[in-house]
Amino acid sequence: MPLEVTARIVSELTSRGYNVEREAVTKLAAVANPDAALERVVEDLPEDTLVVRTEHVDATLSNGDAHATGAAQRNNDQPGVDSDGAGAMRSVGATDGDSTPSGWTANTPSTVGGSADRSPGETKGSKPGSGRSTDPDLRSLEIANDMTGESTGTGEYEDFVAVFRDRLERLGSKLRGRVNHRPATAIQDMPGGEEVAMVGLVNDVRSTASGHWLVELEDATGTFPWLVMKDREYADLVEELLCDEVLAMEGTLSGDSGIAFVDSMFFPDVPRTHEPSTADRHVQAALISDVHVGSQEFMHDAWNRFTDWLHTPEAQHVEYLLIAGDMVEGVGVYPNQDEELDVVDIYEQYEVFNEYLKQVPGNIEMVMIPGNHDAVRLAEPQPGFDDDLREIMSAHDARIVSNPSMVTLEGVSVLMYHGVSLDEVIAELPEEKASYDEPHKAMYQLLKKRHVAPQFGGHTRLAPEEKDYLIIDEVPDIFHTGHVHKLGFGKYHNVLAMNSGCWQAQTDFQKSVNINPDSGYAPIVDLDTLDVTVQKFS
Amino acid sequence: MREADERYFERLESQLEEAFDVAEEAKARGGDPEPEVEIPVAKDMADRVENILGIEGVAERVRELEGEMSREEAALVLAEDFAEGRVGDYETKAGKVEGAVRTAVALLTEGVVAAPIEGIDKVEILTNDDGSEFVNVYYAGPIRSAGGTAQALSVLVADYTRALVGMAQYEARTEEIERYAEEVALYDKETGLQYTPKDTETKFIAKHLPIMLDGEATGDEEVSGFRDLERVDTNSARGGMCLVMAEGIALKAPKIQRYTSQLDEIDWPWLQDLIDGTYDDDAGAEAEADGTDDADEDDEGDADGDDANEGDTEAGDGSDDSTDGPPRVEASTKFLRDLIAGRPVFGHPCAEGGFRLRYGRARNHGFATAGVHPAAMHLVDDFLATGTQIKTERPGKAAGVVPVDSIEGPTVKLANGDVRQVDDPKAALEIRNGVEKILDLGEYLVNYGEFVENNHSLAPASYTPEWWIQDLEAAGADVQALQDDPRIDLEHPRADRALEWATAYDAPLHPAYTYLWHDLSVEAFCALADAVTDGRVETTDDGDVLVLPYDEATCDALETIVIEHRQRESAARIELDDWKPFVRSLGCAIRQTATDGAALESADRETTTVELERTWTDDDLSERARMWGEKTGNNAVEAVNEVAPFEIRERAPTRIGNRMGRPEKSERRDLSPPVHTLFPIGEAGGAQRNVADAAKHAETMRDTPGVVELQIGRQRCEHCETETFKNRCPDCGERTTPDYRCPDCDQQVEPDEAGRVECGRCEVDATCVEFREVDINDEFRSALESVGERENAFEILKGVKGLTSTTKIPEPIEKGVLRAKHDVSAFKDGTVRYDMTDLPVTAVRASELDVDVGQLQALGYETDVHGDPLRHEDQLVELNVQDIVLSDGAAEHMMQTADFIDDLLEQYYGLEPFYELEDRQDLVGELVFGMAPHTSAATVGRVIGFTSAAVGYAHPYFHAAKRRNCDGDEDCVMLLMDGLLNFSRSFLPDKRGGRMDAPLVMSSRIDPSEIDDEAHNMDIVSEYPREFYLATLEQADPGEVDVKIAEETLGTDLEYTGFAHTHDTTDIAMGPDLSAYKTLGSMMDKMDAQLELSRKLESVDETDVAERVIEYHFLPDLIGNLRAFSRQETRCLDCGEKFRRMPLTGDCRECGGRVNLTVHKGSVNKYMQTAINVAEEYNCRDYTKQRLEVLERALESIFENDKNKQSGIEDFM
Repeated sequence: MPLEVTARIVSELTSRGYNVEREAVTKLAAVANPDAALERVVEDLPEDTLVVRTEHVDATLSNGDAHATGAAQRNNDQPGVDSDGAGAMRSVGATDGDSTPSGWTANTPSTVGGSADRSPGETKGSKPGSGRSTDPDLRSLEIANDMTGESTGTGEYEDFVAVFRDRLERLGSKLRGRVNHRPATAIQDMPGGEEVAMVGLVNDVRSTASGHWLVELEDATGTFPWLVMKDREYADLVEELLCDEVLAMEGTLSGDSGIAFVDSMFFPDVPRTHEPSTADRHVQAALISDVHVGSQEFMHDAWNRFTDWLHTPEAQHVEYLLIAGDMVEGVGVYPNQDEELDVVDIYEQYEVFNEYLKQVPGNIEMVMIPGNHDAVRLAEPQPGFDDDLREIMSAHDARIVSNPSMVTLEGVSVLMYHGVSLDEVIAELPEEKASYDEPHKAMYQLLKKRHVAPQFGGHTRLAPEEKDYLIIDEVPDIFHTGHVHKLGFGKYHNVLAMNSGCWQAQTDFQKSVNINPDSGYAPIVDLDTLDVTVQKFS
Repeated sequence: MREADERYFERLESQLEEAFDVAEEAKARGGDPEPEVEIPVAKDMADRVENILGIEGVAERVRELEGEMSREEAALVLAEDFAEGRVGDYETKAGKVEGAVRTAVALLTEGVVAAPIEGIDKVEILTNDDGSEFVNVYYAGPIRSAGGTAQALSVLVADYTRALVGMAQYEARTEEIERYAEEVALYDKETGLQYTPKDTETKFIAKHLPIMLDGEATGDEEVSGFRDLERVDTNSARGGMCLVMAEGIALKAPKIQRYTSQLDEIDWPWLQDLIDGTYDDDAGAEAEADGTDDADEDDEGDADGDDANEGDTEAGDGSDDSTDGPPRVEASTKFLRDLIAGRPVFGHPCAEGGFRLRYGRARNHGFATAGVHPAAMHLVDDFLATGTQIKTERPGKAAGVVPVDSIEGPTVKLANGDVRQVDDPKAALEIRNGVEKILDLGEYLVNYGEFVENNHSLAPASYTPEWWIQDLEAAGADVQALQDDPRIDLEHPRADRALEWATAYDAPLHPAYTYLWHDLSVEAFCALADAVTDGRVETTDDGDVLVLPYDEATCDALETIVIEHRQRESAARIELDDWKPFVRSLGCAIRQTATDGAALESADRETTTVELERTWTDDDLSERARMWGEKTGNNAVEAVNEVAPFEIRERAPTRIGNRMGRPEKSERRDLSPPVHTLFPIGEAGGAQRNVADAAKHAETMRDTPGVVELQIGRQRCEHCETETFKNRCPDCGERTTPDYRCPDCDQQVEPDEAGRVECGRCEVDATCVEFREVDINDEFRSALESVGERENAFEILKGVKGLTSTTKIPEPIEKGVLRAKHDVSAFKDGTVRYDMTDLPVTAVRASELDVDVGQLQALGYETDVHGDPLRHEDQLVELNVQDIVLSDGAAEHMMQTADFIDDLLEQYYGLEPFYELEDRQDLVGELVFGMAPHTSAATVGRVIGFTSAAVGYAHPYFHAAKRRNCDGDEDCVMLLMDGLLNFSRSFLPDKRGGRMDAPLVMSSRIDPSEIDDEAHNMDIVSEYPREFYLATLEQADPGEVDVKIAEETLGTDLEYTGFAHTHDTTDIAMGPDLSAYKTLGSMMDKMDAQLELSRKLESVDETDVAERVIEYHFLPDLIGNLRAFSRQETRCLDCGEKFRRMPLTGDCRECGGRVNLTVHKGSVNKYMQTAINVAEEYNCRDYTKQRLEVLERALESIFENDKNKQSGIEDFM
């Protein structure tokens, strides 16, 4: 099915003042003579119709037109035309934790393939080609936790202490109601054998000679050691612990009150009862990251197919585009990087990126956060780009906010975080709990810890600010990260965790360390159901 | 061996024996861990091998095999002996393999380096997936010191022994193969390899190796794929294994193949594929083929098609494949890598104005050294001094700088317009402030042997007097007569004579008047000829002067060909002395014409005037001359030859780029903090480890001051069963022995023959180490009393926090008291050491050594290098192989050590003093140990004199015996008696590398066949033949020319003598005594000086220098510190306790003290502004500037409050 047909149908209808449902277009396009059918449909439309719906088409076509049946049959042979068909993969109603669809595959919709030879120039701007709703009243986009322009830390010792105290305070408050906690110093003075509980930051985890675990918890008064016996049910959880995450422990004091034996552990976690908010209408958001413009491995063609697809009716409900960092390949990220850059000048990289942004339909709302390749500080939280770079990326009037930030789209909250800490979670945790092949599982850990980068002192870098911006204070409906160049998603306590892939083909470095990136995919989330469709463009 | 040599060695050995007797007597008093001297004397290599390994019977077997076969073959025969149990007492198969491998490595490294004991951790038996057993050799970092060949052979020997004892081959699992590839790459990235195999190459080796290579983790970085493998203990890079894999097997495959082919038991057919590079299936081979094709095409393009066939044959070596250009070496930028701030570049690769290659060996030269004119050392702002290391473009990678003043000095342009060649270091200092530009750095002396050693094809030679003389002779002149004529200086002849010879004999023009025409373009050459015709000749008191009209192009041309002249812009003239050869070279005729009447006043003189007439036009030049050069027409030498009435050779066809490496060194070796006594005092002595403080220390009011609990070795007196930590029983005075007890059942255990102490019942290792309360106050006081010193005899006596040795036997405090008194400090093994950069010297003058002829005669020197009797201080004598020259600092330190030893003998051992030195002249003739890092054998040397240069000059064989070359390496000297008395194995740390750098054995005499063979490549002739110079123009292989090298005298009577040199030097210590790098204060000062110099040097592109300083120094520093900042540790300012993260209490959890960051804003951004300024000032490329910009913003973002912005970057700093 040539793309022109669907595009023509949409443009024809919009020129007459109608919006059109995607399925309606599909049905119309499948008819032997779409133009004639369209005419008839329009004639049959009730007076006050604004949106041409499938019912309208069905009604008109079933009015004794013999072509209809044949068309429907052909329809089945053509994946990708039918949006319920095999063309795009759907994750429907994934419920919790392990219910992630395994082994997702995504075929290239034929409509997308057909568009490859169209030059981006034709489709750019805000031509109403796809029939996308441009009604601003329907849309809403709010930002929270953006620290751009709010960086008040000056790198003093006290700033660091304040951040960690804020972490204990705010995440601790989620736990204090659940246990009868005491400060570390008070516990030391309690009589042996007492039941006791404490809320604190993990200061140290080590195994004892006999195979038990010693977890040192720290609160604002000091530290206290907690022993997790290797045969207790909680022993497994110790493997998941990262330094500096906040948790509560409950247990029994030893005879000399020098140590406590853990009976239970509590994490700030996402409540199992968490009910995500959804949009009131059928509207979608595309979640991408790691574009890496300027790299020799940047996939121009895949990107072009993606932006072309955004102009098609199939993408008409995509009204939001979220980019979770690494817009460009950057400069000086690794030694001798200049030899592997397509665009060596950092400003030019952003200019080129801006050109690629221009291909995105103008009526799509966009939010971007920086990543570790971008020209902002590497220490987290990373403020959004400075004014010079914003100026360069002005084409699309995107919202540029800090990493991390909470973006709420028509009631659906999306926590955007670039994802540098995922490396660490994957390195520290056992393979089955977090791996590069299933990056969303690493994200579950962060959700459970209610912090995007708990561990201090390892891979992740911290810039101390007046408060800990890296805390997941409110439970998001969607958690969106990138960085590891792997596509993976699933639900954790009803929160959709989405690690989008990348737009950069395998680099020499990745090849040398055996990493196969997922390049050229655009996961699309239905904001009314939180269902995911993955579109492949590579 | 000549009789004289025999006498020399006997003399050394008897002197050694004498000292030994004294030391044995002292040791017998029993205060030391052992009652005898702990450094065994090894007369030969076999002895050393046995002593280092501690396997009995090896020496005897090695001696048996030595005459019959090569050392490599002997290693294989010994492997058989081990396998069959003839040598070594090993029961297990693993033990046999281990013994064989260690012995092989020891044998191949002549029993000097520590690799056989420290570089091979263990050999173990593991099982393949099919259940068969294979050998796993566990390497450690110090295997590095064995070198590639020994590393590779160790694998072969392991496999051979494996086959002999009957074990299966190792079958690598796929993930293990992949792991090897990733790990080698990781190690290369982290630490760097000399040779980095491609991934496919590593995998190929890993797949086929019949034994498994394993090793200790040496770095912190972990591999990211292929982790947690069953048969690999670590996820970090295993450095020892990577070295063996890459620099051993991959690099030395041809050498191993030579031996595998001789052995029936093992078969390594895959080596051939490795050597041929055909392991890469097809992809790599194709790529390579493509590469060759490309090169061919390029060559054909360059060659204009007329000699395309020639171009085809020699692809890649672009210099000699074409007849249409001058012979040139290819530029190599390798030496510029990792440029460091403060260490200047002296020349970019092959850059005009850089050092000119001259062949020859000066007497202080020839073993990874580079001869530089002392005037040049001063003119590069003193950055070069004797012994300073330079990283060089060719022939090797690095060299130690030596001063040679018999070569040409640099040419500079002064602020007053003078362009002068400076051949005198004093003059260099006088004019240095006026230097505007260094047009040429002068000559750079490299000996033939360096090219042999580095297997580098000969680079075209500069035209020098020694070559010219042979040209003249070849042209038929009676050179002998000329040399005998006292009025003639063949090195620096007068201009008219030079012209006369050139025309009369049809020989090339003398080099003194041969200018660097090859750097001038043909176009500029023609213009210069025109300019000369506008000139006139003026007669002055100093002779005729050619005066040319001032013109910038003319100035440029004259500067390019590096001719001395005077630019006088204000007077609009340029003056040249000695102009005739210059004018004739330009093809201009000199005509005398009668003057007109204007000159009547001086009628008797100046009746004629000189007219210069250009006898040719541009069109007269042949096509060939016009096009000549690496780039079309950029080399006027052919044009000169067409228009000049004589032949002109290229004056300096090879320029050598280089930069400063590490500075020279002459410093006492102190541990940090310095240690006077190896006696533990825990934390009681404070950060200073002050024993006196520890003696007064009390934790609480209740404690007795000075009583400290320490981990210390328990000793038992066999006689009266007293327990102590001393080597002599405090009760009865008998010697004590370590008291090993089982940690579980507390039963006493005696060590077995192999030195193992395992409790028979509990099967755990017994230990003699215990925590014990020691009254340091009492120990300290009684030590003072026993040596009769008072506390005010020294400023401070420093001990150690704890002992690191296995048995933790402390040193008697008495020794420390006396060390402190004489301000010397102990190394970890109890010896007092002084470090110096190594430099070679083969002939010396008494005058430069601050000794008199009588002293030399007393040491056995009777004749000078010519065989004449030694009478004067300035006669050159050939240095004996074990005689060394101490730097002034070393001499001073040796004096202090000698005083310490004398006091020690008198006051502690109760013997007569040994040295009794009055002044440093008394040191002459005393014996010392020379000892290099990473080795375990000391070499006996004898002090012959002193130098003001901050280096240790010695015979190249002495350095080679220690396993050093002279490219900036440094090692130490110890006073003989200090080593004999104070060294003990019992002090050596019980950890990897603990036995490195400790004199486990000493060589009393040097056998030239048993030293590092690098020294055998040194040439030992007094002149190079003409054929040699001509061969350099062909860029011949060094093996193709006939110049005698030391190798040829090995095993003959002459092996210790006859080290002739081609160039003399006035003094072995000329130029600055210390490099400016060491005298300049801050890093900023050094860098400013470095950049300033780069502007002055014609041969240096200052932008590139700035770029590299930023790229390799500032950026890594900034990025590293920024990274460190945002994930840093914190530390308590009061008690020093470290915290992984800031404590939530804010204060120290240990002591309640103030906690602070370890990385502050100040240390992160200290170079930021400087880097930005440098990038701006030196016009660096945008990429670099942008990286700095991005970083600067990151710094601002972290360290500045958005709501309270500083007004400018200056306030911020």
